[in-house]
Amino acid sequence: MAFAGVKEFLQPGSGREAVDLLAKLGDRAVVLGGGTFLHGLAARGVLGEVDTFIDLQKAGFSLVKSERSGLAIGATTTFTELAEAEPVRTSLELGAVRDALQYPPPQIRNMATVGGCVASATPLFDLPVAFMALDGSVKALGPRATRDIGLHKFYLDYFEHVLERTELLTEVLLPKLPSGSASAFLKLETNANDLALLNVAVRVTLDESGTCREVRVVVGGGVGKVPVRAVSCEDVLKGQRPTPALLQESGDVVSLDIHPVDDHRASAKYRTAVAKVYVRRALQRALTRLGASLDGHNGQES
Amino acid sequence: MKQIIHLDINGEAQDIAVEPYHTLLQVLRDELGLIGAKKGCDTGGCGCCTVLVNGKAVYSCMVFAMTAQGKTITTVEGLADGATLDPVQQAFIEAGAVQCGYCTCGMIMSAKAYLSSDGSHLPGDLEMRQAIAGNLCRCTGYQKIVDAIRLAASRRMETSAKG
Ligand SMILES: Cc1cc2nc3c(=O)[nH]c(=O)nc-3n(C[C@H](O)[C@H](O)[C@H](O)COP(=O)(O)OP(=O)(O)OC[C@H]3O[C@@H](n4cnc5c(N)ncnc54)[C@H](O)[C@@H]3O)c2cc1C
Ligand code: FES
Ligand code: FES
Repeated sequence: MAFAGVKEFLQPGSGREAVDLLAKLGDRAVVLGGGTFLHGLAARGVLGEVDTFIDLQKAGFSLVKSERSGLAIGATTTFTELAEAEPVRTSLELGAVRDALQYPPPQIRNMATVGGCVASATPLFDLPVAFMALDGSVKALGPRATRDIGLHKFYLDYFEHVLERTELLTEVLLPKLPSGSASAFLKLETNANDLALLNVAVRVTLDESGTCREVRVVVGGGVGKVPVRAVSCEDVLKGQRPTPALLQESGDVVSLDIHPVDDHRASAKYRTAVAKVYVRRALQRALTRLGASLDGHNGQES
Repeated sequence: MKQIIHLDINGEAQDIAVEPYHTLLQVLRDELGLIGAKKGCDTGGCGCCTVLVNGKAVYSCMVFAMTAQGKTITTVEGLADGATLDPVQQAFIEAGAVQCGYCTCGMIMSAKAYLSSDGSHLPGDLEMRQAIAGNLCRCTGYQKIVDAIRLAASRRMETSAKG
C-alpha cells in the first residue's frame, strides 16, 4: 500500500492555512489536488516518506474567472469544470485548452485538477503544453509572499519545478491575447489512458491583412525534460502571410529545437517525424479557426 | 489513525471508520461489502472500479475516502429500483454485452454517467466510445457494449418523447 504511512488527512479552509501547514510539516506533507498522479509519483520515488495529506478541495480554489487581463483558473478546478467554462467552450484563443481537455478519459477529467496537472511537472501531460502556447503563468502563494511565474520558467526537469516545498500553486493565468488570435493542440497517443508520445500546442495572431504578428509553438511528450518552445518553427511564420508551403516549412524545422527520447513507446526518429506533421496540422487548425484562407478555402471552427 | 466519516452511498447514510490513506474502493468493498466495483489495476486506468460521485464517473481506486464526505456516491448496487433493473443494466443483458463480467459494473457506471447528461439525441459511435474510453474490456471487443449503450440511449429517447 503506497501511502500506508499516512496518519493525517487535513483539509485547510484557505490557501494561507495550507501554506502554514506546509511550512510546519515540511517534506512529511504532500498536497492533494485530484489525487490522480500521486500513485504515479510515489511509484517513481518522487514523494519520499509522507505522513500527512493536505487536501485542497476546501481551500477555495475551484473557480474559473474571466478578468480584464485574461482567464484565471483556480488550482483545484477539475478538467471537467474547466471544459465547461464558457470562454473555454467558445473562444478561439483558448482552442488549444479545449482540444487538450478532450484527450483524458472521463474519470480523469472529473478528478484531475489544473493545479495538480501543472505541479506534477511531467512533460508528457497535455494542459501545460497548451498553457505554455498561450503564454500562461502560475500564481504561487508562499509563507511570506505571492509571486507570478511564467510557465516557460516554471519547469526545471522531470518532476521538478521552481516552487519551494512551502509554496502552493493557487492559480493559472492565461493572458488576454490580441484580437485575431487562435490556438490549437494535438496529441499522439495509443489509447485514452496513454500519456503523450508527442503533443503540440500552437497559437497564432494575425493582423487585419492576414499577416502573422505573433506565433507560439510548444512541443511536449518525450521531446525533452520539459516542454520545448520551438522558436525555429515560429520564426518561419512571423511577419509572413501563412501559406501551405510556409506551414510545411515551419513544421519541418521543428527538428532543430527538439531532442526526442528513444524509448519503448516510440523511437526518436518517429517522434521527430510526427512532430513535423503535428506542428503543421496544429498551425492549420488554429488558422482554420481564424477563418484564414489557406489553399483558397475559407476556414471553419473545428 | 482511523477517523469516523459520514458517507452517502446509494441513498443511505453510512458512518465508517477509515484510515486517511483508504480509497473509496477499499471502503466500498472491504468495509461495506459492496463488491460491484472491482479492483483491477488499483492505480487508475482500467476503469473496473468506476462509481459515480455527485453523478460523475470517477475511479474509486484513486479517490481517498476522506474526500468523498458530503458527496453522493452511487455504485452499481444502487441502480436497480427493487427488482426492476436500471435501463442501462437491462440493455447490457439484452445486447449480450457481458462475457467474464469483470469490467461490466464499471462499464455500466460510465454508461450511466454518460446517459444521464444529455437525452436529446441518439449518440454516434465515437461519442459512446469516448464515454467508455476510461474502461478496459479484455473480452468483448467493445462492440456489444457500444450496442448496449445505443439500446439504452434509444429507449431513453422514446421515454422522453412520450413523457
Ligand atoms: C488513467 C490516466 C489517464 C490520463 N490521461 C491523461 C491525458 O490524456 N492527458 C494528460 O495530460 N494527462 C493525463 N493523465 C495525467 C493527469 O493529467 C494527471 O494525473 C493529473 O493532471 C494530476 O492532477 P491531480 O489534481 O490529480 O494531481 P495530484 O495527483 O493531486 O497531485 C500531483 C502532484 O501535484 C502536487 N500538487 C497538486 N496540487 C498542487 C497545488 N495546488 N500546488 C502545489 N502542488 C500541487 C501534488 O502534491 C503532487 O505532487 C492521466 C492520468 C491517468 C491516471
Ligand atoms: S482499479 Fe481503478 S482504474 Fe483500475
Ligand atoms: S467482459 Fe471480461 S473484461 Fe469485459
